[in-house]
Amino acid sequence: MEQHPFDETSEGRGRSLSRRELLAATGGVVLAGSLAGNTASALAASAAAKPKRGGTFRLGVTGGGAKDFIDGQSITTKPDQARLTSGWETLLTYDRNYKLGTDGLAAEATQDNARQWTIRLKDGIEFNNGKTLSADDVIYSLRRIANPKNKLFGSAGLANVDLAGLKKMDKLTVRMKLKTADSTIGEQLGQYYNGIVPVGYSRTNKLKWVGTGPFITQSFSPGRQSVHKRNPNYWRTGQPYFDSVQVIDFAAPTAQVNALFSGSIDAMTDIPFAQLETAKSHSNIKILESPGGGWLPLCMAVDMPPFDNVNVRKAMRLLVDRPAMLAQVLSGHGHVANDLYAPFDADYDKALPQRHQDIDQAKALLKAAGMDNLTVDLHTTDGAAGMVDSANVFASQAKAAGVTINVKNDPNYYGDQYLKLPFSVDFWGTRSYLAQAALGSIQGAAYNECHWGLTGTPYLSLYKQAVAAPNLTKRHELVIEMQKLEYNQGGYIIPFFNNLIDAYSSKVTGFVPSKGTLNLDAFGHGYRTIWFA
Amino acid sequence: MATAPSGSPSGDLLVPAGPPVAARPRRALIPQFGGIWGFVIRRILLGLLVLFIVSIVVFAATQALGDPARAILGRQATPESLKALRDQLNLDRSVFSQYWSWLTGLLHGDAGVSYAAQIPVSDLIDERIVNSAFLVFCSAIISLPLAIAIGAYAALRRDKLFDSASSLITLLFAAMPEFVIGLWLVVIFATTVFPGTLPSITQIPPGGRPWDDMTAMILPTATLVLTVTPYVARIMRASMIDVLESDYVEMARLKGLSERTVLIRHALPNAAGPAFQVIAINLAYLAGGVIVVEYIFNYPGIGSALVDAVNNHDIPVVQALAMLIAAVYVGVNLLADIGTILVTPRLRTRL
Repeated sequence: MEQHPFDETSEGRGRSLSRRELLAATGGVVLAGSLAGNTASALAASAAAKPKRGGTFRLGVTGGGAKDFIDGQSITTKPDQARLTSGWETLLTYDRNYKLGTDGLAAEATQDNARQWTIRLKDGIEFNNGKTLSADDVIYSLRRIANPKNKLFGSAGLANVDLAGLKKMDKLTVRMKLKTADSTIGEQLGQYYNGIVPVGYSRTNKLKWVGTGPFITQSFSPGRQSVHKRNPNYWRTGQPYFDSVQVIDFAAPTAQVNALFSGSIDAMTDIPFAQLETAKSHSNIKILESPGGGWLPLCMAVDMPPFDNVNVRKAMRLLVDRPAMLAQVLSGHGHVANDLYAPFDADYDKALPQRHQDIDQAKALLKAAGMDNLTVDLHTTDGAAGMVDSANVFASQAKAAGVTINVKNDPNYYGDQYLKLPFSVDFWGTRSYLAQAALGSIQGAAYNECHWGLTGTPYLSLYKQAVAAPNLTKRHELVIEMQKLEYNQGGYIIPFFNNLIDAYSSKVTGFVPSKGTLNLDAFGHGYRTIWFA
Repeated sequence: MATAPSGSPSGDLLVPAGPPVAARPRRALIPQFGGIWGFVIRRILLGLLVLFIVSIVVFAATQALGDPARAILGRQATPESLKALRDQLNLDRSVFSQYWSWLTGLLHGDAGVSYAAQIPVSDLIDERIVNSAFLVFCSAIISLPLAIAIGAYAALRRDKLFDSASSLITLLFAAMPEFVIGLWLVVIFATTVFPGTLPSITQIPPGGRPWDDMTAMILPTATLVLTVTPYVARIMRASMIDVLESDYVEMARLKGLSERTVLIRHALPNAAGPAFQVIAINLAYLAGGVIVVEYIFNYPGIGSALVDAVNNHDIPVVQALAMLIAAVYVGVNLLADIGTILVTPRLRTRL
């Protein structure tokens, strides 16, 4: 199993908060906007049932182990995500529709100009040790995240922040200057792992469990379980409802499902497809299926044979029967993709025609490239559910055009070979287009599997312009151009986006499907929007 | 799980004992290099040699798990972070030097630091060893007397109803892998047939002890009991039948001894020798076989720690647990051999 089973690089929700939206947001307008979607009905539903206090909520999570840790600003495993959300909160937040808003610790986050932001905190928020949240904590938090030596998750995202220039204007206000214009900074402040910690915080010192979140960690044993007690001074009045929360590591989904069915836990992440029907037949089990933007790309390195020929890349993309692959790999729990990522981004190009399997055209393209009867290795590993299946399904679909795909399932794939292979499978969660491009599609990106957007290419210059774009319309145009380039010439084959499917006991109320990287409605927003009926 | 060399019962030890031979005059017990004590010392030395060889094999095999630095960093591996971590983990030293410092550390009770959790291995597995040991203890204390009773009684009632029924049932369970038995128990007692009757997982909070909540021990223990009992019972039956047909039992009966005396004084001790060997193998199996059962019941023992450690390429933890399991193998086999010698005068006198 890989070190990063799911989302360590995949946190962003698609909808980027545009500069204009964010400016509008500063008066609370974004909050009003967010009420228009799912949240409105969710709130209506919750209003109907009045939340009750009490009880211990037990959550079973797979994917953890001895490497689990608790840090208000980083995660490696899925149980880490479940624990972080109980104790720490971010400046901005994403709602259930992926709109970024000011429901978090910040009352306002204003972009003053292309290279300067002003962040003002809500008044009167306390950490769980009684200390009042102030501008100093924000400055400390941002510096801790961005310092590459700390190896925290969000450091790449904040690379453009001028750390030395972070300035406290008054006890609640911070001025943030950027080294270069970066329109994705707002999104970074809303990533759940960029939590706000008190001055002096470290993963190992006495402040290690101090955050502003709804629960306070009481005990933690890596790979086994953690206990979190209700924060009595939590700033959102009335919340949370549970007395305590337990996050329990499971080695296997079988034990996890059995524990849920027998009432030993109250909710679980990622119920296996094979168990879905059984779960639905249990009257006391409910399923929470949320539309996801996670993707498992097949990556063709555009500078390595045979994929340095654009016709070969086009042909490979025409070999895929996307609906069939979605059905076989995810039992249909997802939606068909079009070789582009970031489906929740407002700039996602829905106008490009959906690609379909076209064996004849693929054969013609291969013939034109002198590559009929092409044989190529496809490298994959058990890094995330579906990576191996996707490779196998693609291999069988490719046979129709006389293309032989040798699937190499290598447990050490993320060791020596990752990013150096001509053809490989990888996994990503969802984020906004530009933030994703920064991580995977440009020169210098940490995970550029396709070797795309290298120095001197039009894509890279478009990216630079888009990040520094003076307004939303201009940025939209540039991002559309970038997607066209990737759609026509890029190295990704993206067959589908997966859903998140979790299960919980009917005793629990308050879960609402939400577009997101985190399971279970972002773990019931840190276990504060759910309760025992 | 490979059986340690000392565990393969030598034919000589397994042969059901014949009629008791007149005992030679007893030699002084200690510390001559003969007799029972000499045997014990020889076997202990042999056991240590086996463990030493195992340590070489374990160390060599764990090197094949792959580069731990890459496993820890995963996707985040950059040349700089890899180098820093390799230095921190002393991975750039020669293999012999790594082996030597590991072995000497182990002899001092220091199994190193877990790569994944960055804490001493002992902190990571101490509680888990207690948990697994308790599970094995519960299973053994139920399954062994049960198996001996079933086997002995079936031999006595040979070809009667009890014998046929128990043979069929033990064969059935012996043929089922433990995960099938475990899952059936879960379906029956936890999730489907009688939902919620018993917990389907064993939750032991950190710092807690497995005996704090005995209801959570029932299903894992029952799974192991149902797995182990059939083997021991069948061997016990076969061995008991051999003994009951032997000349000396016939002789004892002809002498007019009560059936009770014949069984307890003459038959059982002679049937116990082979049973000891089977019990030893099964106890050793339990030490490793808990892995599957712990997986099913999310039991926080050494099995789940081992699976996790292998996934993480967490070499120090894998090594420590492999050595522990090997030591249990060697230990119980040693005890079984000594037990066999003690109940088999013919073997004892030959020493």
